[in-house]
Amino acid sequence: MHIDKFEEAMMNCRFCFMCRHLSTIGQVRGTEVDTPRIRAAMLYGLRTGTNSFDDSDFVEALYRQELSACCVHHCVNHYDENGLALAARADVVEAGKAPEKVQKLAKKYGKSAFTAKGKGDLAYFLDATTAADKDVVASVKRLFAAAKATPVIIEGGSIGKALKVLGYLPEAKAAAEAFAAFLAEKGVKTLVVSNPAAFDALTRDYPAFGVKLPCKVLCLSSYLLQAKVAFKKPAGEVYYLADDFMRNYDGCECPEKLLKALKATNLPFGTNDEESYCCGEGAVVFDELNPALVKELAAYVAERADHPKTDRIVVLSAYTKKVLKKYGKLDVVTMDELAAACL
Amino acid sequence: MKIKEDSYMYEMIRTELTDVVGNENVDTKFADKFGHSIDYYWIPEMWHDRGRPCPKPDFVVHPKTTAEVARIMKIANQYKIPVVPWGGGSGSQGGALPIYNGIVLDMKRMNRIVKIDKQALTVTAQTGIITKHLEWGCNKAGLSTMHLPASIACSTIGGFLAHRGTGVLSTKYGKIEDMVMSLEVVTPTGEIIRTLPVPRHASGPDLTMLFLGSEGTLGVITEVTLKVHPQPESRQFRAYIFKDFHTAMQAGQTLMRSRLQPCAMRLYDETETKTHVSKVFGIDLDKGAYLVFGFDGRKDIVDLQMKHAREIMEGEFKGKDLGSKGGEWWWENKYKFFYPGYMFHVPQAFGTLDTVADFSHIENVYWAMKKVVNTEFPDARFIGHFSHWYDWGCMLYARFIFPGDKVPPNAEEAAALYNAVWDKAIRAAIREGGVINEHHGVGLKLGRYMKDLYGKAMPVLEGIKQKLDPNGIMNPGKMGLAGC
Repeated sequence: MHIDKFEEAMMNCRFCFMCRHLSTIGQVRGTEVDTPRIRAAMLYGLRTGTNSFDDSDFVEALYRQELSACCVHHCVNHYDENGLALAARADVVEAGKAPEKVQKLAKKYGKSAFTAKGKGDLAYFLDATTAADKDVVASVKRLFAAAKATPVIIEGGSIGKALKVLGYLPEAKAAAEAFAAFLAEKGVKTLVVSNPAAFDALTRDYPAFGVKLPCKVLCLSSYLLQAKVAFKKPAGEVYYLADDFMRNYDGCECPEKLLKALKATNLPFGTNDEESYCCGEGAVVFDELNPALVKELAAYVAERADHPKTDRIVVLSAYTKKVLKKYGKLDVVTMDELAAACL
Repeated sequence: MKIKEDSYMYEMIRTELTDVVGNENVDTKFADKFGHSIDYYWIPEMWHDRGRPCPKPDFVVHPKTTAEVARIMKIANQYKIPVVPWGGGSGSQGGALPIYNGIVLDMKRMNRIVKIDKQALTVTAQTGIITKHLEWGCNKAGLSTMHLPASIACSTIGGFLAHRGTGVLSTKYGKIEDMVMSLEVVTPTGEIIRTLPVPRHASGPDLTMLFLGSEGTLGVITEVTLKVHPQPESRQFRAYIFKDFHTAMQAGQTLMRSRLQPCAMRLYDETETKTHVSKVFGIDLDKGAYLVFGFDGRKDIVDLQMKHAREIMEGEFKGKDLGSKGGEWWWENKYKFFYPGYMFHVPQAFGTLDTVADFSHIENVYWAMKKVVNTEFPDARFIGHFSHWYDWGCMLYARFIFPGDKVPPNAEEAAALYNAVWDKAIRAAIREGGVINEHHGVGLKLGRYMKDLYGKAMPVLEGIKQKLDPNGIMNPGKMGLAGC
């Protein structure tokens, strides 16, 4: 089973409580089953026969995890309960026990037809979530213009991240291979992305799949810093919500560096900088999978804002912006928008 | 009692509970109930490890308000169903296990900070709040509860109130019962009561203290007002290595008798210093006993207290100074001891023989327990540290550990071995003047010793229970009180 690769996490997390305060879903639902400890204990129960994927509630709990990886980041040994849960989803799918809504989403994200607009070896991957936010798209265009660059814009759907998160590993790998081949065909040497989930897919998932990209991958923050784009206006006071992928998945620290370059005064949000405020960003399609929960997560974040109506919240992903604006009624911009406003 | 799921009664109760908290807050699914069948008590962990199912509740109910708790209690009384309050489920004594099934009242949706009073320096909160979140909330206001236990991340404040928990700064700021101003409690019969608003008065016996440590057997604590403190200007630690545990103990006692006011002090015996402190800090402490202490408050006063404390440590007792860095190691790693890899873990069999005694008795308690474990259970290792110090005595955090391959494969035999260690070690401690528990509570694990401990006073406790809980539905079978 896939979970066997996460033996260490399963055996250690099943009796450990030390990250329960960061258990995002457990916190909003007040439940035990939505904590790393009980998920690990239930997965261990597969071995002893006390639990089974035939229990649809257990499977449902596995798909309720928001995959923020706060627990992994917090743990002194960094036991990867997040990876364990992802592996369990892959086992669920292989056992033919994926819930119907998961199957539908997998079908949706299994379709990809990449397109490329423009010429050159510098490309920007415009994922579907980012593409749906016109303000972010306009900001990205302005930023590339300020960098005096005209990247090839690649669009067209899934690069495999959603499939991986849903537990469809062979399909995710196939999507990764297809995307890598497309980039090679287009002669891309540098690929820039805004979406942290895409960055994580390209820098962590692809190597794990054994898929080699023909290009280097940069997050947009990193690209802007390397391009030494001049920012004339200071960003002022903002509340930057640390990104799940960049903070907890060992992404990169470029967003924080860009904030400094933008002369932003980053105020502490909420009561702590350990919890995830990304509303299920790590689960990528969480708003489609568990919309009611996403609403609760956004409300939880909104309750923690100092001045919900006026605080300027900065996030990295268009996903988090979308759900925090929609359900949390907060004033949210992405880092790309903030940077563009400082030009 | 186990209510048959295909019975009319089951459906009736479920319907009534749903009416109070909503359908989404009454869990009857296996996955949800499973989560409330294991706490941090070794026996259910061992059972789980070996594939033996643990008792589960019939219903897991998640109230949001005190009024909802009161209504649930009335329903439980109507049907005479057991009710077990559940916070973080991280207790080590089996205190929150639903041993008679029934309702588990998971309090974690009652997680609001109601008010921070900066004039009185108090915080009022619902008791289902994870203590770390409560502390974070106070920190945001520039304050601290100063209740910083190792389980701060996983336990609710209600859990600490229920079993009289303590934190690493207890030597100065006290245990949880020293921090409480007042409580709101839902009695077993569903009445909502409040204890007096201040902890010092002469208006009769103190109801606040009655409910603190009652482990859910006398009611459900739904709201608490705690004292809070400004963050200190300075907090400094220093550590020493002494030639042996006895010398270190004498140094620690002398420090406490001097009436200096450390915020924390911890002394590890030679074995724990060598095996645990060294491992957690990543340094070699091969010989001797490690003692760490600290002071906090105004910097000039902290400096002065530290100066006098150093004179005690380095004078008569000739402690080897590890400096402030040696103390900071402990402060920075104080919770690391409890993470997997540093903490004991099934298949090992292990337990914390938490005992408290005055300075005249504490060393004898230590040696008596150590002797029992070492001589009667040669496969077990015994380690101990002294983690909460008072003017009059301290707490012994003694532990026994059997390696996994020395634990019988048969679950009954494993439990029998485990319980035998407790029987012998705890009775040895009581004989030497120890009180069997300082901050983990009694729960299921230690209930059988309550009669030994209380003697003729036990019927007083049982009488109070009977008066408050005539149907015996509140967390039955715990603390040595009657089961269902």
